[in-house]
Parts: sequence; structure tokens; C-alpha cells
Amino acid sequence: MKLPDTKEVQTEFKPKILAFCCNWCAYAGADLAGVSRFQMPTNVRVIRVMCSGRVPPELVIRALANGLDGVMILGCHPGECHYSEGNYLTRRRAHVLKRLLSYIGIEPDRFQLRWVSAAEGAKFSAVVKEAADKITALGPNRWGDKR
Amino acid sequence: MKATSEEVKTSVKKLFEDGSIGHFIGYEMGSDSLRVTPCFLKSGQAASRLVWNPLCANNLSKYLLDFGKVEGKVGIMVKGCDSRSVVELLKEHQIDRDKVFIVGVPCSGIVDREKLLAVLGVSPGEVVAVEDDGDAFLVTIKEGTRRVKKEQVLRGECLVCRYPTPVIYDMLIGEAVSSLPWVGDDYSSVKELEALSSEEKERYWSSELSRCIRCYACRQSCPGCYCQQCFVDQLDPHWVGIKIAPQENHQWNTVRAFHLMGRCIECGECQRVCPVKIPLMLLNRHLLREVESKFSFQPGLSPETPPPLATFKPDEDLGI
Repeated sequence: MKLPDTKEVQTEFKPKILAFCCNWCAYAGADLAGVSRFQMPTNVRVIRVMCSGRVPPELVIRALANGLDGVMILGCHPGECHYSEGNYLTRRRAHVLKRLLSYIGIEPDRFQLRWVSAAEGAKFSAVVKEAADKITALGPNRWGDKR
Repeated sequence: MKATSEEVKTSVKKLFEDGSIGHFIGYEMGSDSLRVTPCFLKSGQAASRLVWNPLCANNLSKYLLDFGKVEGKVGIMVKGCDSRSVVELLKEHQIDRDKVFIVGVPCSGIVDREKLLAVLGVSPGEVVAVEDDGDAFLVTIKEGTRRVKKEQVLRGECLVCRYPTPVIYDMLIGEAVSSLPWVGDDYSSVKELEALSSEEKERYWSSELSRCIRCYACRQSCPGCYCQQCFVDQLDPHWVGIKIAPQENHQWNTVRAFHLMGRCIECGECQRVCPVKIPLMLLNRHLLREVESKFSFQPGLSPETPPPLATFKPDEDLGI
């Protein structure tokens, strides 16, 4: 029996994306997307957090430094935060973090903040698909090679 | 009139005599004539040790945190940049305004020791004294006195300094300096780096940060880094591992910069003490520029303004 030559197997790049989803909106949105059977890329790993404001920049940087190709934070639309203002604070923080990451050579698209409500299953799948496409086009995270 | 060592000595002595202060944090000459070290006084008798000259680089404000429980007021000598870190400490409720007596000295630039030695081509032992003389420094070496243009030998932070005169003080020694003639477009180096492609930026920072030995001298010297337990010292979650690896260096240096966002007052201590010469101010100043342009915020100017990340405007457009 001839074993397949591993060198010949063409592995196409599949990015690993981490998505922090707010318990009150995006996580329920992801659930709805699943229940509604929307087609979605399988690159995204979801972590449920109680609020998008719960995600400290350390976690995002840690994920990227450990070789993940992209990180997303998905939260409630501005004005709809379960805790009144968590997502407003996240918005400022994410903006600065994105600028910092871009300054040290991480493409801005690798870190995304998106608003998805619990009713927007379709938007969840669209947002995830868009992120996966963009990050696939960017290729592997350069920090990942240095591990 | 510029402040002189003599004026500082007499003023501090007087402050001790009339009971305004119980302790004083200032500068004294260090191990050689190009080094100045922090000096802690408990009485006016020792005030003769104090100096003020263009070598007084240290930001002394961090020492205020160690004087929280002493009797009476603590006097401290601050330059323009240092005074802004005192404002930040006040804003973050780390020190009590009633417990500090701020002695401000307007500053017209501090010497970068290495630059000076390179320009003069001498060893540290040969320099006798450095004096401020308008747009130049008068350096006395064994063979005589030489005039060195300030632009050649100033610290990087002084070349872009916008607040040479302390923004907060109880007493000002010497005349206020409104602006420094050599300060122009102060974000040019940041803009230059920003304009590069992601790949080039990544290569640049990876090579700079690869030298980091994570000695945390930047943290120890920074007046903004006073956490009882820094995130790098935490074991659970273990944010930064002990591995000698690029990702740990990236993790430390980016998170450090982020934690100082909107709080860094450009004293440049982190970069000055870095044993491997990582241009940390390039990182800090990028974030400074960001908060300044997006949130119209400059740290260290008023203890009342809330920090930019602790506040928000519901309808602001940040492009998200």
C-alpha cells in the first residue's frame, strides 16, 4: 500500500479567529444564526463574555501574540448595552487598541469590533464571513511565525 | 533669570526652617560629574547637598508614593514634565495634594549623557561641569570650557517638550519658560513610522523588541506604573510567561504602552533607563498623538479632567 506523500498535500490557509461574544446580544445572535442554519465559515472560536466591556486589551494581544490570526469583539449596539455603558467604553478602548496594533505591524483588520444584537443571526453570520474573508486574504499572522 | 543650585539650596533650607515641609526630594551630584542622583532630605542642614543643573534627568514624582505615611508635607523638586506626572498622580488619587509641597523649576533642556560624551569625544571623568547657556551648554572639561549646541546633546524628550515650565507648583524658582525654540513638529518620528507598511512596521518593532530582556526597568522608573501587582507579576492569569520568546516581549511592551495610554506625560524615564535602548517613547507618543487627535485630551494638565478611556460620548464616530 502506498502512503500519500505528505509534502504533496496542499494545505490551504485557514485562519484561526477568536470571537469574544457578549452574553446578551452577540452570543444570542450566534445562537440564532445556528438555529436558523445560516452558512458560516468554521474559522471562528467563540468565547462568551458577560459584556464586550469585559474584554481587556491584554486578552486580545495575548491571543495575537500566541499566533491567532484574528480577534473579534462582538457586542450590543451602542445604546443597547445590558450594563448601560459597557460597549461605549469598549468602543474607545478598541479604537485605541486597533491603532496601537496597526502601529506595531498587525494589520487593522485582524482586530475587529462589531455590533450584533440578539435578533441579528444573519448579521452574525455575515460579520463572521467578512472577517474570515479579510483575514484569509491577509494570510497568517506574522507574530505566529515567531513562536 | 534661570534657577541656580544656590537658589534651590536657600529656598529649601527656608522651607524646612518655617516648617512648610518635613521631607524634601531633590537632586544631588552622583558618582561622577555627569551623573545626578535623587536626594532625600529630612532637615534643612543637609540642603547644601542639593543641586540644579542640566543633568537632573530623573523624574522624582514616583518617590512621592513612598512618602504617603510620613508626618508633615513632603517637598519635591519638579521640572515641567515631572509636574505633569504629579498631576496624574493627583488625578488617580495616589497622593494627597495637602501632603505635598511642589517646588517647580522651569527647565530648558536636560543633557543626554551619551550624546554629550560622543559629541565631545571624552570620557565621563574628564567633564567637570555642565551649565545652561541659552541655546547651548557650557561644558567645562579639563582642558577648558566648550560650548555645545543644545540640539546636538539634548535628551529626545526635551527636543519635543511642550511644557518646560511646571503646570502645578507651590513655589517656582527661576523665571517661567513659555516655549523652547527648537520644538517644532513634535510628532514627525511617529508619523514617519506610521507611514510604513504593516510588514515594515512589524519588522522594525520585532527587531527592536527582540532585545527586550524584560527587566521591567521601564516599569520601575515610570511614575504611571504604581500598581501593587503589575499584570506581568500575576500568576493566574499568567499574562506574560517566563519564556525568552518574542511573543512574551510583544505582550509586555504593547500592554505596557496601552496601560499608559492617556497617562504618559513624556518624561522619557522608561527609555532613559532601558538597558537595551528600546525606543519606548515612539510607542508612547503614538498613543499620545491618538488621544490628542481623537479625544482632544492631553494628560497631566489638570487633575479634574477624567482620563479618556474612563469616559465617552454616546454619539462619537470612531470609525467602528
